[in-house]
Amino acid sequence: MPRYHFHIQENGCLIKDEEGQEFLDREAVRKEAVETGASIARDAFMSGSASLVIVDVQREDRTCLKVSISLSVEE
Amino acid sequence: MISDPTSHALIRRLQTTSAIDEKDISAIRSLPIEVKTYGPGQHVVRDGERPTACCLLAEGFCIRSKTTWEGRRQILSIHIPGEIPDLQSLYLHVMDHDLVTLTESKLGFIPHAALKDMVRQQPNLAGVLWRDTLIDAAMFREWIVNVGQRPAASRLAHIVVELRERLKVVGRGAGAHVDMPLTQEQIGEAMGITPIHANRIIKQLREDGVLEFHRGHVTVLDERKLEELAHFDDRYLHLTPSR
Repeated sequence: MPRYHFHIQENGCLIKDEEGQEFLDREAVRKEAVETGASIARDAFMSGSASLVIVDVQREDRTCLKVSISLSVEE
Repeated sequence: MISDPTSHALIRRLQTTSAIDEKDISAIRSLPIEVKTYGPGQHVVRDGERPTACCLLAEGFCIRSKTTWEGRRQILSIHIPGEIPDLQSLYLHVMDHDLVTLTESKLGFIPHAALKDMVRQQPNLAGVLWRDTLIDAAMFREWIVNVGQRPAASRLAHIVVELRERLKVVGRGAGAHVDMPLTQEQIGEAMGITPIHANRIIKQLREDGVLEFHRGHVTVLDERKLEELAHFDDRYLHLTPSR
């Protein structure tokens, strides 16, 4: 099974995923990336530490999927 | 007596949380306990099974968990030596969750019939075990608040502090190290987040100088920061006997 690395960017600050994980198929990768992004975004948005969260999923050092979640509040 | 080291942590814990006397202690010591050793990640009891004995954790760490039909596992509680994680099976005959080892563990199996005999002969112990299951429920309430309401970093900090306080009761908490043999994935399963989110929280706690996670244990880097993050109040652990 191929190994995927989920690198996280919060307002440009990068958190690398050195370990990586294996997934059965692309759909499982997509689901995990969206859930991870949404879950981190919730924390970051609520605490005000970031307004943009990107999950950069890489396979063999190349991006194969990217999830971007941004916060915009209009008053 | 063979069962002595097995029941040692249990007796120590019950002495802290409940009022037990010499007669109670000797009744616990004379329970017929069959000790078995399990490797890490092994099911002790499975969801749906009908156990005929309760197991007392003598050495090691276990978790209780439930898995959804989609295959997602939620860790419900972490168990340490001196606890009887499936005491409920004494009266609830079909297991409604799994009990799984985290590390190599020594478990003492006490037949339900022997426990029932013991509480008939020592009614005080019936009260003590009842109280124990009530404290178990209080811990679940706190776990729900933790998973449902606290931000992820506070959630993890709270789990670490609770574990440390419970380990202290059985004489296993010393200094800045807290035994916590959970992998990144298992930390995620306990907190209801993905392993990558757990990884991010672990890194954040290290960068903020609060906690450092190692394989098998956690080091407290700054006690004050940890307290500020966890907002831990041990009232729900009911560590003093109520008479």
